[in-house]
Amino acid sequence: MSKAMTRMQSRKLQSAIALFLSGMAALFGLFWLGFILWDVLRHGTAAVNWALFTEDPVPPGTEGGGLRNAFIGQLMITGTATLIGVPMGVLGGTFLAEYARGRAISRFISILADIMVSVPSIVIGTFVYAVMVKPVKHFSGWAGAVALAMIMIPVVLRTTEDMLSLVPWRLREAAFALGAPYYKVIVQVVYRQASVGVFTGILLSIARVAGETAPLLFTSFNNAFFATDMNKPIASLTVTVFQYAMGPFEEWRAQAWAASLVITIFILAITIIGRGIIRWKYGNK
Amino acid sequence: MNNGNDIEIEVKNLNFFYSGGVHALKGISLAVRKNTINAFIGPSGCGKTTLLRCFNRMHDLYPGNRYEGEIVFQGRNILGADIDLIDLRSRVGMVFQKPTPFPMSIFDNVAYGLKLRGIKKRAELSERVERAIRHSALWDEVKDKLNESAYRLSGGQQQRLVIARALAVEPEVLLFDEPTSALDPISTAKIEELVVDLKKEVTIIIVTHNMQQAARVSDTSGFFMLGELIEIDGTDRIFTTPSNKLTEDYITGRFG
Repeated sequence: MSKAMTRMQSRKLQSAIALFLSGMAALFGLFWLGFILWDVLRHGTAAVNWALFTEDPVPPGTEGGGLRNAFIGQLMITGTATLIGVPMGVLGGTFLAEYARGRAISRFISILADIMVSVPSIVIGTFVYAVMVKPVKHFSGWAGAVALAMIMIPVVLRTTEDMLSLVPWRLREAAFALGAPYYKVIVQVVYRQASVGVFTGILLSIARVAGETAPLLFTSFNNAFFATDMNKPIASLTVTVFQYAMGPFEEWRAQAWAASLVITIFILAITIIGRGIIRWKYGNK
Repeated sequence: MNNGNDIEIEVKNLNFFYSGGVHALKGISLAVRKNTINAFIGPSGCGKTTLLRCFNRMHDLYPGNRYEGEIVFQGRNILGADIDLIDLRSRVGMVFQKPTPFPMSIFDNVAYGLKLRGIKKRAELSERVERAIRHSALWDEVKDKLNESAYRLSGGQQQRLVIARALAVEPEVLLFDEPTSALDPISTAKIEELVVDLKKEVTIIIVTHNMQQAARVSDTSGFFMLGELIEIDGTDRIFTTPSNKLTEDYITGRFG
């Protein structure tokens, strides 16, 4: 009896220790996350103003000016990356989940994509630098977009593959049994069934690349002036933050904080929308 | 009555091999008469579903499967390489174990097969969709919500919707693969009633694990074991005086 009690007590003690340690670990992580967000919020809100979005940079040391060029450049690069990355990711994922389902090639590409997801983004930046910047001898918006697209593709591909695999096989058979050819089964039934999951994956992949700096440093570089020519270096928020935060001028640092805040809110918004869609679709089942 | 002209499907010495080489059907021969309900019964893995899926060439979806022998339907061997599967599948419909509504509205579900066949005119679609839904005894329950998602229907309603979808293209044969195994008793009764009602227009082949169901709805019953057709006869005979000892043992619950 007493032995049983001690076993019970020792288990309770172990449980309490485990609970304490994991709780502390969570608190530790949350503390820094809160700290970062608070700091960005505090410095960022102080520097955000209307001119930030409507005016281009002014020479260092001068009052005023904004980061219109970087906002537009960021949107163009991210937008182009999405246009390149999403179709390739979705179609690739479709190939893996449908046409190559169960085959060795499918497993192989899946594993490669998983590795690609965890490749440091700076490696992708240097790769694109080698194939798209070095040969033409100048940075370009296209190179930046391609670098971001290369980060997006494996994410979208794997999400698409997973989401399509979740669609019950009997649903496809039902469509086949009505005489539908495979491409119609995929487009009209499978995509429709998996649409929310795939769409969410796309949103999260956009959020993922919107905060990337390293791959852009080597590709689209930066531009102090307003530019929309994708063949030229083009400004982006993340690289601008990098440059301004390291710069010697007080106004630069203030604008870097403001830009950080805007990026953070943008990514937060996309992520929350993405999660919200998942909950709305799958939450009450 | 059985004068040869009213044969809908004739299976002649059919052998079927799954891609791994498993010999799943062994020398099956049987005839299915028009406007009858034919039940396939037998223990799990006996080949009854495999046979059912030969009638609409469902096995073609998976590489490596192989048929030998003949299945004659409307004067042609449907196992031939020249068979248009889309055409075949519009003549031989299939209803699955679990309801399989598509992620679209009730109307679009039933219209799906029609649209596949190039019917685009709204009036014709509406008319044929309504006829099919009425046919599957679902009209009164869904007529006010045709544009709602099919997923809002109950399991039994979904199964009748799927039957309506198969009926919309006016098939000659309907294959049912354990259509009520996922349903409650009341929904099951409705489906059974519907199946009996449908035999006026279509020939029905139904795979079932539920012996009472076979006894209730079918005209003939075939008993399968280990890929062989042990016995096929009128349902009354199979359930009262089967000629094979194995059939009798299975029916009386001695195994299976």
